Amino acid sequence: MTDTKTAEAEVEVAEPEQETRLETDRPWIVIVWNDPINLMSYVTFVLQKLFGYSREKATKLMLDVHHKGRAVVSSGAREKAEMDVFRLHEHGLWATMEQPD
Amino acid sequence: MAFGFGAKIRRTRSGDYTVDLETWERDLLRSLPGQLRDLLASDDPALERLFPPAYLDDHERNDEYRRLMRTDLTDHRLSSLAVLEATLDEKRLDDAQLTAWMGALNDLRLVLGTRLEVSEEMLEVDEDDPRAPGFALYSYLGYLQETVVQALSSAL
Repeated sequence: MTDTKTAEAEVEVAEPEQETRLETDRPWIVIVWNDPINLMSYVTFVLQKLFGYSREKATKLMLDVHHKGRAVVSSGAREKAEMDVFRLHEHGLWATMEQPD
Repeated sequence: MAFGFGAKIRRTRSGDYTVDLETWERDLLRSLPGQLRDLLASDDPALERLFPPAYLDDHERNDEYRRLMRTDLTDHRLSSLAVLEATLDEKRLDDAQLTAWMGALNDLRLVLGTRLEVSEEMLEVDEDDPRAPGFALYSYLGYLQETVVQALSSAL
């Protein structure tokens, strides 16, 4: 007697979860853009401090920003990416976030 | 180079920092926080560099981000300025205080650099150029910021 009802309930709950998972599964990337004001040493330091990167990795990212115009510095769910962008903005870096296809 | 001998701001073995600035430098720094505070309360377009967009293609989400974060960003900046002002004459600073100096100096450079429309290649400006005094200040702040970053980096 309980089987049919339980089965229907399970089916109803499963679908929304599926849709939500597809939406939030696509990661966001955080980009730092080059600017003429921030010191290279400062950008490197900020990347180490905010993301725990080694000096080597932070320097490499900074050089990508400097020479290529931009670099992806982190990625994740939307809320996490927005927090990363905010912390970069707090430090005066030019950062944006996007969701690549 | 690694130990920063001769640098005006140095990390000590006990983990705090000595600050060896001359009187004219401290007086110069004294004149700046008030100006930036006034600016933060104004509509000056140079301010926008301190509040960049988070989303390039999504105006709605960006408006929301700006609406929610603007106060926090402003408060953070005001807090750094307050620490700079309060510790201007100190000969020793702790990590949090020097980090606030770094933030305040960076904000000052961002606003000044935006106003002066500096480019990466700009190394100096003609004496007669009306931007010369501003650029001199901008250069000095860059030198000081470099010193602060080197000192803080030595702790990582």
